Amino acid sequence: MTASDPCAHCEEMMQPYLDRVLTDAERAEAETHLDECAYCRKRYRFEEALRQFVKQIVDVEPMPVELKAKLANLRTPLQ
Amino acid sequence: MARMSETTREPDARRIATDARDRVHFEEDALALSDQVYRVARHLVGSREEAEDLMQETYARAFRSWRSFQPGTNLRAWLLRILTNLNIDRGRRQQRTPDLQPLEEGDYFLYNKLEASGGGAPDEDRVVERLSQNDVVSALSEVPHDFRDVVVLVDIGDFTYADTAQILDIPIGTVMSRLHRGRRALKQAMAESAVGGES
Repeated sequence: MTASDPCAHCEEMMQPYLDRVLTDAERAEAETHLDECAYCRKRYRFEEALRQFVKQIVDVEPMPVELKAKLANLRTPLQ
Repeated sequence: MARMSETTREPDARRIATDARDRVHFEEDALALSDQVYRVARHLVGSREEAEDLMQETYARAFRSWRSFQPGTNLRAWLLRILTNLNIDRGRRQQRTPDLQPLEEGDYFLYNKLEASGGGAPDEDRVVERLSQNDVVSALSEVPHDFRDVVVLVDIGDFTYADTAQILDIPIGTVMSRLHRGRRALKQAMAESAVGGES
């Protein structure tokens, strides 16, 4: 972490950390800070839950059955 | 002579039969993915009607050009690539470089807003309590198109950065920067929707 503002640096690492695209060294650096810092730890946990929540929320509207039938009708007729 | 032409026709008949079988398999595979494609399409465009039109155009084009699909590659990504191209072709939006707006707020912004709004520190359960479906859906529609496309493909469609880059025909680095900014824009819009002008 940067000496000046470790939490700001941890905030910058949050998205790549949760996307699992950090290098091993960066990941270890983030985890060391998270072990020590409840402020950042809470915000990381919140972000993780938020991502799941957004995914669930947008899943509630299934594809209309009529559309499914229309798509099936677009298939090439068998000879 | 007649025997000759029969033997010549035989491989043709076999080829036609193989072709028909491959096409049917392709169409079945594509239709099996339609729920997943729709789920993404629904959030790439503004309305359900637009998403339905776009799905029909996409599948009509996919069935016509099925031979250009490379078996063994990602069919869902291939369908989404057609869909996003059609979306642009139809002039529903202009493909452009997103405005280089500054990143107004950081990644902790939404949490901080919820915490400061009077309900105390939000935990996992509080997320569900404090944000409604409307907050999320309306916030998503407020994220600028180019950023939203990437957020929808990665966070809702579960596409990898590489697949998303291929679908949108942009470099992986651009996917990453748009995703980063799109998520922040989404959280900012959610904060405004859930908390409004409170501080």
